[in-house]
Amino acid sequence: MSLKRITKELNDLGRDPPTSCSAGPVGDDVYHWQASIMGPPDSPYAGGVFFLSIHFPTDYPFKPPKIAFTTKIYHPNINANGNICLDILKDQWSPALTISKVLLSICSLLTDANPDDPLVPEIAHIYKTDRAKYEAQAREWTKKYAV
Amino acid sequence: MDYSVSDPTDFSHTSIPQLSQLDTLVRCHICKDLLKIPVLTPCSHTFCSLCIREYLTREPKCPLCLNELRESSLRSEFLVSEIIESYRSVRDALLESLMKNQHNDNGESLIELTDDDNDDDLEIVGTNSREVNKDKNENSVGKITKPSTSSGVNSLLSSQRNKSNTKEQLAQCPICSGFYPIQALERTHLDECLTMQTLDANDNIKKRRPTPPIPQIKSPKSSSKPKRGAGTKDDVSHVDKYLSSFNTDQRRERLPKINFASMNLSQIKQKLMSLNLPTYGSRQNMITRYNHYEILWNSNFCDAIEPVDESELRRQLTSWEASHNPSNSNNSTNIISKMMRRANQGNSYQKLLADFKNDNFQRKSWIHMFRKDFKNLLKEAKRSIPRSPKTIDNVENQITAPENTEKA
Repeated sequence: MSLKRITKELNDLGRDPPTSCSAGPVGDDVYHWQASIMGPPDSPYAGGVFFLSIHFPTDYPFKPPKIAFTTKIYHPNINANGNICLDILKDQWSPALTISKVLLSICSLLTDANPDDPLVPEIAHIYKTDRAKYEAQAREWTKKYAV
Repeated sequence: MDYSVSDPTDFSHTSIPQLSQLDTLVRCHICKDLLKIPVLTPCSHTFCSLCIREYLTREPKCPLCLNELRESSLRSEFLVSEIIESYRSVRDALLESLMKNQHNDNGESLIELTDDDNDDDLEIVGTNSREVNKDKNENSVGKITKPSTSSGVNSLLSSQRNKSNTKEQLAQCPICSGFYPIQALERTHLDECLTMQTLDANDNIKKRRPTPPIPQIKSPKSSSKPKRGAGTKDDVSHVDKYLSSFNTDQRRERLPKINFASMNLSQIKQKLMSLNLPTYGSRQNMITRYNHYEILWNSNFCDAIEPVDESELRRQLTSWEASHNPSNSNNSTNIISKMMRRANQGNSYQKLLADFKNDNFQRKSWIHMFRKDFKNLLKEAKRSIPRSPKTIDNVENQITAPENTEKA
């Protein structure tokens, strides 16, 4: 089942690609994908291209895919290893979701961070207390690592 | 494995692109395929019986609205089931003729009529099975040319008749589910397919229910249903199946969930044997086997409009196990790749793996962690070199007692 469903999602991405995201398998392994997200224009990540790695579990879609940033990014919900704190990748996962929808959620996480459920408390603190400083820092990292 | 996938967007380049909505509505939100044995949740969402039952063993909630959901509250939907099966059987032909229609616009009014009809049926499905807000509901009712109240059997019949017109060119073989020109299918292909399947079919032939005296409509039977007796194959329409679905004598008690924690090995074996299931493999293998069989059983005997025989269920279980337990499939490369995959996932594995090539590598804990996998590998090796059992036994002793390996 997982293979068929993943093939189908790949097909869908080809026919109806979501805005500012792309994804596809790395080599022959259908269970291992790479994705890219363009930094949303209304965010400090604008102009950057961020790469992510996607691992599908063998019991996908009953279990969520494992998604992590491979590009360094300054964000309260994404840590140095690229792990993403996003409810739909954990307990709020539903098999009705697709990679396309998840990537769009990650895009909107870049625009609207969730500092109340942070993965990196220091960044969350700066985000809450000194928004300008956070944006400057995020822009700098984007320029440094994602352009 | 079948890599070809159908998609709602198949219709977006035809003369009736709106059909892609319909095609989306009749799909399961878990497997994204056309619904197979659809079941309805109390929150009015529809999924494939097998998909939702498997998901509910992990999370007791509806994948679409996240409301709490129990397996016992699922209800089968025979009408939706047959609507989708009849749609499935014409889908490819429909798509093809719509494509042709697009290219040479000869005004094929017959085919257009069919699609409208098809649309009607599925609009009704849509309002029944999905959470549609009132606005949309009214819109769709407005679009229907015939009042939906009169659409029961009559509408089914008329749509059936029209549909049978569209499959002039292609029809689906009920056995191998391939598409063939209908004449070739009737003359030669069916026979060929049947002779290849006779052995299997002998086991599975079930006396079919009597057919109500409704005009015989030849319709290609869907692929999803398993093979059945040869004589009845062609002349049972989806309408008949729906109408006779209530007096089935094949329903069985549902299999219960079992709390295996309190059972010992021989009790588990007994349970499996009482269901004629194999008892090889580890305790966990057997528990997994029962749990999946329970899903197959309940989906078949509680939800399916036309339950299949137990032997067919066991066949499905075997093929499921073969694809889900690589360690069972006597393939040592599978075992290794499974080990490596696990090593890539787990945190503790990763820590160990990081030191794989230098002196800090903790051989002891690595062996301990993969003791079972190593044993399987050894079993493999043993089978291929049966003449030197002593050396292998030595190695095996080391594995079972990893403390010794350090000293050695």
